Amino acid sequence: MELDDLRRQWRQPEPASMPAPLSAAALQQLLARQSDDVVAKLRRNAQLEMAINYALLPLSLGVAWLAPVLWVRLWGGLLGLIALVCIFYFHRKVGLLKSMSNPAGDLRAYLLRLTTGLRSLIRFYYRFTLAMVPLVCLLMGIMTLTSTTKAVTPTKIWIISAVLVALCAVIYLPTAHITKRYLHWLYGQHLDRLEGQLRELNDGPEA
Amino acid sequence: MSAAPSADFLAALHEYQPLVRRVCRLYCQDADDRQDLFQEIVVQLWRAWPRYVPQPDAKLSTWLYRIALNVAISNLRQRTRRPASVDVEGEAWHLAQPVEASAYEPEEMAALYRAIDRLSDVDKAFVLLYLEDRPYDEMAEILGITQNNVRVKMHRVQDKLRRQLLHK
Repeated sequence: MELDDLRRQWRQPEPASMPAPLSAAALQQLLARQSDDVVAKLRRNAQLEMAINYALLPLSLGVAWLAPVLWVRLWGGLLGLIALVCIFYFHRKVGLLKSMSNPAGDLRAYLLRLTTGLRSLIRFYYRFTLAMVPLVCLLMGIMTLTSTTKAVTPTKIWIISAVLVALCAVIYLPTAHITKRYLHWLYGQHLDRLEGQLRELNDGPEA
Repeated sequence: MSAAPSADFLAALHEYQPLVRRVCRLYCQDADDRQDLFQEIVVQLWRAWPRYVPQPDAKLSTWLYRIALNVAISNLRQRTRRPASVDVEGEAWHLAQPVEASAYEPEEMAALYRAIDRLSDVDKAFVLLYLEDRPYDEMAEILGITQNNVRVKMHRVQDKLRRQLLHK
């Protein structure tokens, strides 16, 4: 059978296979469900995490301001700083995901938007994770220095600082490696597929 | 997202529902996947509807093909099976379920679907637009490539499809 004959058949389905049109009630039920799309799920998760950080920020700043003990105040201040960094990170992430979740526009532009967005998301996540390593080490240092009951001498501060810098350097490389692998496992196949589709679409007489 | 769908959206969906079903049929062989994709496309159409601005030189069908194809091809949905349709209960919804298409498909159409299934997702988009008899300028608008590119690719895809049909 020729393709043109198949094309004629394509638009004339058997009456029995024709679905009934969606009623307003059925459509409303369908629209009430949450999207199954990975981007929509990531966006929902990011919004939830951002809300948690917004709640943590005044709490930790309150501790930093009101706590009677110095080390608790320092802890509160640092946690507040981390919450601020996280809020910035999640704002950027939600913004990126928002730009990726609109499927209007032509296919090539949409694939390009998804690919660029996914790449930015990966890069951003990677940098954020690595930036958190020294911050966590600093938090550990303050915890060690402030929780000791003995007198803190300058020598002790130098030793702890040296240990923390060494710890930071030791943690940094495995963190970078594991984060890279994790991101590849999480988004790699999506990115490869989208890039492949984009190449396929671009590959033409003018390409 | 539970606001009542507007009458104009319902009318548009009513008119173009068979088109959305055909896109789903082309991209998903499995009936459950097809149903999930249909729901996802409808949800995305509903979200994009407020931004749709009718223009004299742009057809609603072009806008609809774009969204349906974009969702079907990008398909960043998790492939794990979940009873998505269970969320939508009630007789009204069940009435809207398509009867298992394969039970009514003539052998030629079944062979066509098998052949299409062996093509890449991007090639499927070309096949869809060919079967839907869209003109080259509209195809170019939907896909975001030049008409010349569409022409060249369409010939290649048709050749691939013919070969697949011969090797059934």
